[in-house]
Amino acid sequence: MPRYGIAIDSTKCVGCHSCRVACQNQNSLESNETFNWIKHRDRGRYPSYYKEFIPLQCNHCENAPCQRVCPTGATYTSKEGVVLVNPKTCVGCKYCMEACPYKMRIIDHRRGIVEKCRLCIELVRDGGTPACVTTCPTQVRIFGDLDDPKSAVSIFIAKTGAQPLRPDLGTIPKIFYKRS
Amino acid sequence: MQDSAWGWLIITYLFLAGAGSGAFIAAVACDLLAPDWSKTLARAGSLVSGPLVVIGTLCLVLDLEAGFWQPWRQIYMVNNLRSMISWGFIILSIFIPIALVYAAALNEITFVGKLAQKYITIIEIIGSIFAVATATYTGVLIAVVNGVPFWNTPLMPVLFLASAISTGLAAAMIVAAIIDVNTIKTLSNFALGHVIFLSVEALVLMLFVFMSLTRSTEAAASAGMLISGMLSPYFWGLVVILGLVVPFILSVFEFLEYGQMPKSLVVGADILVLIGGMSIRALIVFSGTPPQII
Ligand code: SF4
Ligand code: SF4
Repeated sequence: MPRYGIAIDSTKCVGCHSCRVACQNQNSLESNETFNWIKHRDRGRYPSYYKEFIPLQCNHCENAPCQRVCPTGATYTSKEGVVLVNPKTCVGCKYCMEACPYKMRIIDHRRGIVEKCRLCIELVRDGGTPACVTTCPTQVRIFGDLDDPKSAVSIFIAKTGAQPLRPDLGTIPKIFYKRS
Repeated sequence: MQDSAWGWLIITYLFLAGAGSGAFIAAVACDLLAPDWSKTLARAGSLVSGPLVVIGTLCLVLDLEAGFWQPWRQIYMVNNLRSMISWGFIILSIFIPIALVYAAALNEITFVGKLAQKYITIIEIIGSIFAVATATYTGVLIAVVNGVPFWNTPLMPVLFLASAISTGLAAAMIVAAIIDVNTIKTLSNFALGHVIFLSVEALVLMLFVFMSLTRSTEAAASAGMLISGMLSPYFWGLVVILGLVVPFILSVFEFLEYGQMPKSLVVGADILVLIGGMSIRALIVFSGTPPQII
């Protein structure tokens, strides 16, 4: 079984929000709902001051706190290592939203359940690639199997030393960032 | 990115579950330890315990979304024993019936009460265990939340238990004053209980808030909001002064003057304890800050 992950080269991100819009279309989200966020941060100082854009989405943590606290078992990890929510059993208690240290979950008030990035699992199972990955004009994201050392994502991580955000939080994320 | 997902309904739940289980503990303590003069307080405590926890649980259910509109989904809520909500579901389903039966027994309500009186000691022992479990688990519920480092401390359940006992005693005393106006004199005996439990609560609260300043950046930010930041007027005003210091002083006088204190001040002190208990929970929830991730 593959173990999917994404490497993000934030030095290439221009903050265009294409990934967010592609994700909203892919997942039929309202304009105010999203599974990915572009945060920015001021880096450096004059004369080399710049703004860093950091695309954020669920990290599909291997040691996922959201899954640990979910009373119904609605939050589960698929065989491909993707953290998913079963819409049929979620009660909307929002405990998982509190537990996620990355705050990557949203509540869908229409359906009364919690949702988040699903790594476009249906597309991926059909041999495709997540919408945010394919749509990015500067190709910030690299998607693939983290267990296959020859996959583009593994090679990128090995070459650049990309790291998850806040690995000290201990959730073992599967989204890696090259930030400089 | 989402800010706090929980709001007033969960805060009210945390407060009422605490006060209800505390009232049960107060009632049992009176019934077991004290002679006849405390029967009113035991009755009052048992009467308010169950209903408070029931109303609190209703708040919890109201806060559900799909689980509220499609209540049958709630059966899934015991699926994960690593989740404190699953434990809460189990604990509440046992504690609520016990608390209601206990109220029936002490107040001789219907045949259920008469029957239950025969087993009163066993109800008191098992009920107390589940009352402590209810009060404590509400603290564990938020203490295990990774998303808010301020809450990740074993002091949290201790604080919640201490606050549950003082608010529970306050709720029981208010109801005792309502069901028996002449009881005010005997209530002075329990002012000592307030003096003790408010001190314990103040100590744990102080440890919790000030030790958070060195625990982690995020915990320090939250504690800073309470001590000198945006929420500090509420923290010092509602929790410390109105919720702890004033009722503490009133309770000392109440005990010393033994029954001479005006009823309004006695009940007033108890109402302040309740306001403090609700405020501390609200402030703990609202001061929660997630880790800085970028
Ligand atoms: S990022 Fe948050 S929602 Fe995603 S798996 Fe980790 S804890 Fe769960
Ligand atoms: S909101 Fe749904 S997915 Fe989240 S913890 Fe509750 S039941 Fe689980």
